Amino acid sequence: MAHTDKSNWELIKNGMFSENTIFRMAISLCPSIAVTNSLKNGFSMGIAVIFVQTMVNLTVSLIRNFINPKIRIPIFMLIIAGYVSIIDMSMAAWARPIYKQIGLYIQLIVAFASIFARAEVFAVKNRIIPSVADGLGMGIGFFLAMIVISFFRELLGKGSLWGIPIVSGNPLLIMILPAGGFFAVGILMGFFNWMDARIAARKAAEAETAAGVGIERA
Amino acid sequence: MTTKDMIKITFNLTAIYLVGGLLIAFVYAKTSPIMFIKAKEEKEAALKTMMPDAQHISKLGDWTPHEKHAEYYAAQECGELKITTVSDEKTGKTKELKECIDARDIGYIVEGFGKGYSSYINVLASVDKNFNVQKISILHHAETPGLGDEIEKEYFLKRFEGKSVDNLVVIKGDTQDKVEAISGATISSRAVTEDGVRNGVKMLTEKLSGGAKEEQGEEQQHGSH
Repeated sequence: MAHTDKSNWELIKNGMFSENTIFRMAISLCPSIAVTNSLKNGFSMGIAVIFVQTMVNLTVSLIRNFINPKIRIPIFMLIIAGYVSIIDMSMAAWARPIYKQIGLYIQLIVAFASIFARAEVFAVKNRIIPSVADGLGMGIGFFLAMIVISFFRELLGKGSLWGIPIVSGNPLLIMILPAGGFFAVGILMGFFNWMDARIAARKAAEAETAAGVGIERA
Repeated sequence: MTTKDMIKITFNLTAIYLVGGLLIAFVYAKTSPIMFIKAKEEKEAALKTMMPDAQHISKLGDWTPHEKHAEYYAAQECGELKITTVSDEKTGKTKELKECIDARDIGYIVEGFGKGYSSYINVLASVDKNFNVQKISILHHAETPGLGDEIEKEYFLKRFEGKSVDNLVVIKGDTQDKVEAISGATISSRAVTEDGVRNGVKMLTEKLSGGAKEEQGEEQQHGSH
């Protein structure tokens, strides 16, 4: 089993940026399109995912030596579904007001590819602390993506943010419909790729000039 | 794969599922009674808001939409409202017992279920004596967040005010006398309007119109399946 040699901070950053669930890996797009039509919804979903992702990574890592590799998939399913059920039931009993707000999102997490993927790719092969860091990073990355997408969709589609009206006039209704979700995710993904390409080009240019200076000096 | 491997894998899977199952069962046993009580309290609180003018709400009977248990109530105005304070011997808490003397029905409230996109939507609807909808409220649902859960929003609930049974029909697009669907959530809108509220009001109309006076005294009455 290959242990990771990255530091915990690098793992968190990795999940937030270079392996961002939505914009880089392009998984779990279905919920991102369904729930991001308002900032509040996106925020709630993000929080729920951070929590479940971290707990699932922790648990998988904890029992990774007891899991026979041939049956890891049903076991991951049990862990994810178990966490979701336990959180759902506990919130319904003891945290009723929050449950009313994000209860629906918690239930959706059962079918999340991103949580499954991190258990399979990372947590089952790594020690507990790095697994928790990875889960946190991935969760925060997902959270940030939710915020960015829902910010634009609510602003353009409803002319409001967090339910507070900001722009008057006719909003672009299509942005809060499912089609608008595809537009928003696609355009933002394109934007981040373009930014990446620019940064890479600038770095390459700097390296070139540095190399050029070096040659001149020689 | 040898027989030994097969046994090992089976044992591994069984052991982990057993632990997982037990954990979930434990949490369920702890939480479900609390959940049940809280849901009941919420329903009672919601009932009070359904008919602001009513001084007293009394249960008329049960019915079973979609094989689920639901109740219907009469919202009453009292000739005289007698309040007696009773203290519980065990907890020492005082409780107000209301007694409605000379009650007159000013409307009815019905609980219903509508089959939505991903759940049964539990609704309450209040009607006046002519069976026109006064107010509706959503007790519980598990529709898609961001789309179907718009049924909880005030702007959608307001579309039901004053609607008669015949007008409880969902229309995509602008409408004056019918119920306008939520864009992106037509199935959920239909479930609330046509399955939940309309069937509830229909049931009330069948049960109560004509025979309303005679049935008032009865405490328990079972609806047909």
